[in-house]
Amino acid sequence: MEEFFTYAPAIALLPLAAFVVALVFGDAMPKKGAIAGIFATAGSLGLSLLMLAAVASGEVHHETYYEWAVGDTAGHTAAEGIAFTFGILIDPLSALMLVIVSLIALLVHVFSLGYMNAEGEKGLPRYYAELGLFTFSMLAFVFADNLLMAFMFFELVGLCSYLLIGFWFRTKSAPSAAKKAFLVTRFGDYFFLVGVVAIGATFGTLAFAGDGSFVAEAEAALDGGETLFGFDAETWITITGLLVLGGVIGKSAQFPLHTWLPDAMEGPTTVSALIHAATMVAAGVYLVARMFGYYALSPSALAIIAFVGGFTALFAATMAVVKDDIKQVLAYSTISQYGYMMLGLGVGGYVAGVFHLMNHAFFKALLFLGAGAVIILMHHEQDMWKMGGLKNKAPVTYYTFLAGALALAGIIPFSGFWSKDEILYDAIILGLESNVFLAAYAMGLLAVFFTGFYTFRMVFLTFHGEPRSDAAEDPHGIGWSVKAPLVVLGVLSLVAGVANLAPVGKLLDLDIMFLEGWLDGEYGGLEELTYGFYGDMLPYETALIGGSEETTLLVAAALSLGLAFSGAGLAWKLYNVPEPTEHTQRLGGARDVLRSNYYQDEVQVWLAEGVTLPVARAADRFDQTVIDGVVNGVSSVSLFGSSWLKRIQTGLVTNYAALLVAGFIGLLLVLGVYGGWFL
Amino acid sequence: MIGIEHYIVLSMALFCIGLFGVLTRRNALMFLMSVELMLNAANINLVAFAFYHGNITGQIFALFTIALAAAEVAIGLGIILVLYRNFRDVDVTVPSQMRW
Repeated sequence: MEEFFTYAPAIALLPLAAFVVALVFGDAMPKKGAIAGIFATAGSLGLSLLMLAAVASGEVHHETYYEWAVGDTAGHTAAEGIAFTFGILIDPLSALMLVIVSLIALLVHVFSLGYMNAEGEKGLPRYYAELGLFTFSMLAFVFADNLLMAFMFFELVGLCSYLLIGFWFRTKSAPSAAKKAFLVTRFGDYFFLVGVVAIGATFGTLAFAGDGSFVAEAEAALDGGETLFGFDAETWITITGLLVLGGVIGKSAQFPLHTWLPDAMEGPTTVSALIHAATMVAAGVYLVARMFGYYALSPSALAIIAFVGGFTALFAATMAVVKDDIKQVLAYSTISQYGYMMLGLGVGGYVAGVFHLMNHAFFKALLFLGAGAVIILMHHEQDMWKMGGLKNKAPVTYYTFLAGALALAGIIPFSGFWSKDEILYDAIILGLESNVFLAAYAMGLLAVFFTGFYTFRMVFLTFHGEPRSDAAEDPHGIGWSVKAPLVVLGVLSLVAGVANLAPVGKLLDLDIMFLEGWLDGEYGGLEELTYGFYGDMLPYETALIGGSEETTLLVAAALSLGLAFSGAGLAWKLYNVPEPTEHTQRLGGARDVLRSNYYQDEVQVWLAEGVTLPVARAADRFDQTVIDGVVNGVSSVSLFGSSWLKRIQTGLVTNYAALLVAGFIGLLLVLGVYGGWFL
Repeated sequence: MIGIEHYIVLSMALFCIGLFGVLTRRNALMFLMSVELMLNAANINLVAFAFYHGNITGQIFALFTIALAAAEVAIGLGIILVLYRNFRDVDVTVPSQMRW
């Protein structure tokens, strides 16, 4: 199977080719570039599946393709100069992610035929070209074998999301949302860049895997008790890890850099599906998983990841409760779900985090494409209060959307339940040992209730009850290109949980935890990138309720399932009526706070206008007065002095001779006084 | 017996006369003559010390200086001629444009 790896670069290069083709020939092609994109992503999917098969047969691909600079100065711990390379690393994690990304990208391309082409949009070649570039960047990011390459494609992903969010650049809101997304994620990426430089300077390598990976170097430095840049090794690893985490928080929309994501809904819904499920937002969490070995060396960094994740999960879920726009609800649910993944990774649940990343990719792509279908049905109306009663008029959309909603809410047996339950299980067993993590667990658990509530509020308002507008009475038809991706994703949302039925496996003592085995390198993988290896590095101890794994499993599952059902049940009671009302006035003052997203935007604007601007003004004033004053003062003193001094140049040779003589006499006098001639 | 000091006094006197001329006169020709006086004061010094030390080098330097002085006079007279052509005058205080 090893020969398959020859084609590994093509996985990313095919969408790049589609980008070029759509950009250059898009206007002349029958579907304005969609065909190129569909073929390219289908090719990528096929090749990714081949990679998956090759990895399953026990092969791993790690090769440097291009070396564009080799330094001659040694790093802080490494003896050799740092090398900047482009390389491909295909191990179980990246092979899995390649399949997810290329699958979602393919389905989004197909869906776009119905969503963009059929609706007669302008600028389609540009749209498909940007989709191709987006897919290319994400795929290259996924199989990057070093941190610098990852950073470069991370930035490209950000650029593409900027372009696509601002696709309707003639409106007022889309360019502003695009700029916001770009700037907010750039703020996080700034820390990421500093982190990349710090890691490179410290360990003299940026490779994720291999003997000389920075993870291995960091572990060696930690074992050797070395001092790095004046800190002990663990502190320095924490600092650099947190710097990289800055980029993750920006991209994966974690608190406090989540504000760009709801605004990103200004882009086409297909783009939202791609951004939220597979490309942009997933990149952050994937990066944490990719360098999990590094974070495993630093308990403080992991704890911060866990708490940021847990807090974001709850925080975003509460905001989703009061939204009226179907896409806004989904946007906040995305933030919340990525919070779960961060929580899972932060409490050491590497498998759980990756599992949720996979399941979320399927059900969130499904929900967004479903929302896209609803928007087509509703003649481009997004307000849920104007929908209702679509259940019987669009059964395919309804049932697939319902599958995605059940997965999102974490209702057994849909995929979301299994992964969310695993994350919460990993959190509770850690929390029972070190109680501070119980707070993170509690936040994650509480968010389950809100998730159940807002998900079914959305479902009931959209599909149940009586139609509340003319558009809902007479929905627009949808074609096969819309239905097919929905069905594929709907099936995946239902069955993807089979990949890792951890509770069932543990209770019945069955060996059915395929994903855990997969990530543990049972089928093949690099030893230092396996779950078991990370598990040995993790500084965590766990405990169980009553010392019994079964009890703990059942209690954790019952709690999360109970809360999910009660949330969904509350939504059912409040909103599954023919003429639902808002009920938000019951929240009192909390309603305004939630509707304004906890005034996060206002806080950030205030930070910019109330803090940064005055500081910048003061700095500007200091620059204008003190610095410029000194410079201008020096110049005006010399100008004035020389305008006075130039008068001795009279143009009369006699005066010069007199000056010469006077100078000579003066010199003689000075020499005489100091030489003691007059004594 | 005439000692070295007599020659030095003579050369100093000659030099000071030349310097006085340069500092006080305005006529370019007088300038040139004063410069010649100062040059010759130096020549006297050179010859006197050469004789005093019994070393011929100083006398050879003096010969060189005389040759250079001849050249200098030629150039100097040329400059004075040009000066006269341009300003109808040989007063050195008239052409004072060569400054800021």
